[in-house]
This record gives sequence, C-alpha cells and structure tokens, in this order.
Amino acid sequence: MKEVLDEVVRKTLSGFNERLEAFGPNLLAMLVILAVGVLAALAVRVVVRLLLPRVGFDRFAARAGLTVVLQKGGITSPPSSVMAVALAWAVLGVFVLLAVGALNLEIAMDLVSRSFSYLPQLLIGAAILVLGSLVSAFLRRSVLIAAVNAGLPSARLLAGGVHTALMILFVAMALEHLGVGRHIILASFTILFGGVVFALALAFGLAGRDLAREFLERVARRREEKPGDDLRHL
Amino acid sequence: MKAVPLPESVARRLDELGEVDLLVGIPSFNNATTIGHVVRAATAGFAKYFPQRRAVIVNSDGGSTDGTPDVVSSSEFATPDTILVSHQLTPVQKIVTPYHGIPGKGSAFRTIFAIAERLGAKACAVVDSDLRSITPEWMQLLLGPVLQGFDFVSPLYLRHKYDGTITNSIVYPLTRALYGREVRQPIGGDFGFSGRLASHYLTKPVWESNVARFGIDIWMTTTAIADGFKVCQAFLGAKLHNAKDPGSDLADMLVQVASSVFDLMSSYRERWAQVGGAEPVPLFGFPHGVGLEPVNVNVERMLGIFRGGARDLHEIWEKALAPETLATVLEVASSSREPFLFPEPLWVRVVYDFAVAYHRRVMPGEQLLRSLVPLYLGRTASFVLGTAGSSSDEVEAIIQGLADEYVRQKTYLSERWA
Repeated sequence: MKEVLDEVVRKTLSGFNERLEAFGPNLLAMLVILAVGVLAALAVRVVVRLLLPRVGFDRFAARAGLTVVLQKGGITSPPSSVMAVALAWAVLGVFVLLAVGALNLEIAMDLVSRSFSYLPQLLIGAAILVLGSLVSAFLRRSVLIAAVNAGLPSARLLAGGVHTALMILFVAMALEHLGVGRHIILASFTILFGGVVFALALAFGLAGRDLAREFLERVARRREEKPGDDLRHL
Repeated sequence: MKAVPLPESVARRLDELGEVDLLVGIPSFNNATTIGHVVRAATAGFAKYFPQRRAVIVNSDGGSTDGTPDVVSSSEFATPDTILVSHQLTPVQKIVTPYHGIPGKGSAFRTIFAIAERLGAKACAVVDSDLRSITPEWMQLLLGPVLQGFDFVSPLYLRHKYDGTITNSIVYPLTRALYGREVRQPIGGDFGFSGRLASHYLTKPVWESNVARFGIDIWMTTTAIADGFKVCQAFLGAKLHNAKDPGSDLADMLVQVASSVFDLMSSYRERWAQVGGAEPVPLFGFPHGVGLEPVNVNVERMLGIFRGGARDLHEIWEKALAPETLATVLEVASSSREPFLFPEPLWVRVVYDFAVAYHRRVMPGEQLLRSLVPLYLGRTASFVLGTAGSSSDEVEAIIQGLADEYVRQKTYLSERWA
C-alpha cells in the first residue's frame, strides 16, 4: 500500500516538475515582460509629463477647451499630467497583453490576438470622444456668446442643449465604432431625436398654440415699437 | 520682398508714364454708381491745387462685374462747357488694374503702393470708392501736407457725438496711449502718404494676413507712427458714403477692429513699451462743429445684453479679465444706480485685460473678442446716458479724459503683458 502511495506521489511530483520545466520559462518571461512594462510605463509617464508642458500642451488644451472638459469630469490635474497617465496605462496594457501571450496558452494567445485586433477600434473610439468633447465645448461657447450678443434671455439653456445634443451624437458614434450594441444605439438615437422633435412640435403646435401666438405677436409688437440703433460704431 | 504681380498691359503703361508727382489710389469692388464722382473730384482737385504736377489716378479693382473700371476710364471732370480757372499742364492719367492676392482692401492698397513705388510718386493718397462727400479740397488736404514734408496724413472727419463709438472708446485712446501720438481717427479710411512710406509698407510681411482683408487702415496708421514717420492730420469735413452691408454686425466689426489693434500690439511691443504720454500732431484744414440732431439709441437693449453677459459669460470673462476687474464688472452689472454708470477706469482695465488675454491666446481669438461685445455695449450705454445733454465739445472733452485714463493705466498693461 505504502509502495503504491509512494509511486503516486512520485509520479505526481515528477509530472509537476516536467510541467514546471516546460511552463517555467514562459512564466519567467511573463514576469520579466511585466516588469519591463512597469518600467516602460513609468518612463513614458515621466518623459511625457516633462515634455508636454514645455511644448505648450497645457496652453493648447486650455485654449481648445479640453481643460474645462476635464474639470467638469472632476479631473483637476493639468492635461499634460492626464495625458502622461493615460499613455503610461496604455503602455502597461500593451505589456500585460504581451506578458499573457508569453504564457503560450491557447486561450491566452486567443485573448492577445483579439485584443490587438480590437485596439485600433478602441483608439479611434477614444479619439472620437476626445474630438467630440472638444468640438462640443467649442460650439457650446460659440452659441453661448452669440446668444448673449443677440440678447436672448435663455442663452445658457440654448448652449447647454447644443452641447448635450452633440455629446450624445459623438458618444453614439464612438460606441457604434466600437461595435457595442450597434443596432440598439442607432435605434435609441433615432427614437430619442425623433421623439424630442415630435414632442416639441406637439407641445408648441397643440398645447402651446396660444402661447406661440402670443409670443409671435409680442415679437412683432416689439419690432414695431422699439426703435433701432442709429449708432455708427466705426 | 516679393514683387507685386501686375498685368502685362499695366506694366507697359507704367513704363510709358515714367515718373509722376502725385498719385491717388481708389480701391473698388462693384462701385459703378459712386466711383465716377470720386474720380471727378480727384481730377478737379489736381487741376485746382496742383496744376503744375504730373498726376495719376489708380483704380485697384477686386473683379467688379458692374462696369466699375469702365466708369473710371470714362469719367472726366471737364466737359467742353466747363470753364476752369486753372488747367492741368499735363492731363491726369488713369490706370485701371485688377489686384492679386487675398480679396480685400489691403490687397488693393498693396497694388496701389507698388504702382506708387514704380512711378516714383512723391505724394500719394487713397480714398474710398463709395464716397459721396469727397470734394476737390480733399486732394489738397491729403496730398499738400506730404509735399510739405509729412509722410502720413490721417483724416479728421466731422462726426456726430455718437458716431464712431468703437473708435472713440477703443481704437483712438488705445493707439494714442500705446504709440504716443494723438491721431483722432486712426481707422478713417482715406489717407495721404509719401512715396517713401508706400515703399516702406511694401517691405512688411503682412500681405497674406488679416491686414490684406480688413485691417489695413489701422495697420497703415500704426506702422507710420510706430516706425517713426512724420504724421499729421487733415480736417476733411463730413464723410458720407454708402451704407455698409447690413449683414456685417457689431460683433464682426468689433472682432475685426480689436484683433487688428491687438495684433499690432504684439508686433510693436518693444516700441510701445518705451512710450509714455501722448503728443498732438499738426492739423491741416479748418475744423468746425457739427449739429446735434437726435440719434436713436436703444440704451435699454444695450444694458440688457451687458447684464445678460454678466449672467451667462462668467466662465469666458474669467479667462480674460483679472479677478478684481471681473468682480467690479459684475458689481456694475448688478448695480441699480441711476443713471447706469460703467466707469472709465474700469473700461480701460477691461480693454487692457482683453489685449493681454488675446496676446496670451487663452482661448480662440474670435470667441474671446466676441465676448467683449456685451462689455462694450455696457460702456457705450453708460457713455450715451452720461452725455445725453452734452455738446460736441463737451463729449470730445470726455473722450480726451478717457484717452488720458488709458495713458495713466499703461503701467498696468505693461506689467500684465510681461
């Protein structure tokens, strides 16, 4: 009985040894790649953090409205710092994928190959979001200023509406590009916008019929009553 | 310096003409209904005041389709029935040429400068093609001082006390404080200048910029003053011309003017940093007052826009204005003082803060300057309310007071600019 037990233990251990011998180098390679990845990510973070402010990235981000977008999202660090952290994580992510690939397991290889093939879409999706937030912020500001200069009483509401609509559009575009619930997003987007327009039309045309008439009459009256400026500014 | 391209036929004509003494340039684009009068006034001015001089009229056209160049070619001052007291010894020559480059008044002027240089003109002038009030005397007033040794003649027009509020509240006092010369209407549009100054203008690398489009007037004035040319003013009387395009609204005007002035501030930083105070420049002509017929001004609307700006543009103004300036602006906006008052020192701070913000590019320039509109309207409303019962002379004294305030606060500008 004891001999049988010894034999089983011996076979188990030798099997483990064999598997360890076969798998050990891969494991070691994974750890080395991970360590290199951590160092590379740190290096990227430090270099980018130093370099970007010197080439005026923070100033550009402030001008383009990116700083405001970040602040609205609760991020108070300078945009160069945020960019450094994002790039460091991206580098680390690539190394993690490489490390997993080094294990040479079928499932790991499959994961790595899928991740790498998905990476371009992810990057384009992120770019659409960043560009979208910049464009939305710029247009929000333009609409706000134009509305104030035109003397509209609800300038902020108008600008906020434009911003929200554009952000919804860009998020939908990014998600559609990532292939996340493609049909659901398209359908939701169509229904949402169609619904809003329909609701507005109904509200203004039916329920607010009198209000609309009064409003138009008031505008017409104001045009007749209020004298224009004869000032020549130049 | 890149040569200004001229059509072959024009180049040949210039060779035939040789040298001239006087040149008047008229930029145009579809001005067939008005340009004939301008050409006739210039021709009469040459005959009356400079009969001994060789003179040429240059029409620099932007591709008119209404026959403007034909009107220029066919416009004659003297008909067989006209009796002239003095006659031109050599007939006034005319050159009609299209200009090249970015469409705009600046590109048209560039072609005029190039022709002036090529013909060795001693005294030149440029006048708008839609002028209805130009008289032969304008030639004497714009060209005469140049023949006496001045390099640049700035116009001084007869204006209503509420005309030219951007000029009175920003362009004049700021230019005066920066460069130290009292040129009252730096963006007048009709100027006299020497051939030497025309050649100097051509050496500047600005012909692909906004100067070529819309900023040429303030650029000519500032360049003449800042580069040390001899400057004077000439009183031309009233300036009546065609109504501007109604599509060009206040915000567009303010953006164009303010961006031109602020761009020049960056170019001439070294120059204006050395200037303290301001000196008057010689004046030609005989200034007289103007009637004060009532002008419609909707102050209520102006104040509404100013207060709307204070309510909604906070996030933009805080990028442009110093914290204490912003705090005072908000205080003024919420004040119930009667009559409403936007104090002069505060307005000067606002303009200086915006100039610094534009220079530092804290946000896209056009957006920044458009956000100045409510502040400008607040200040203009205050000006209109404060001068409702004032005479032209009293209003002029107030404008001079504002200009002095710009000088007093120049140290603030220098400190913030650095």
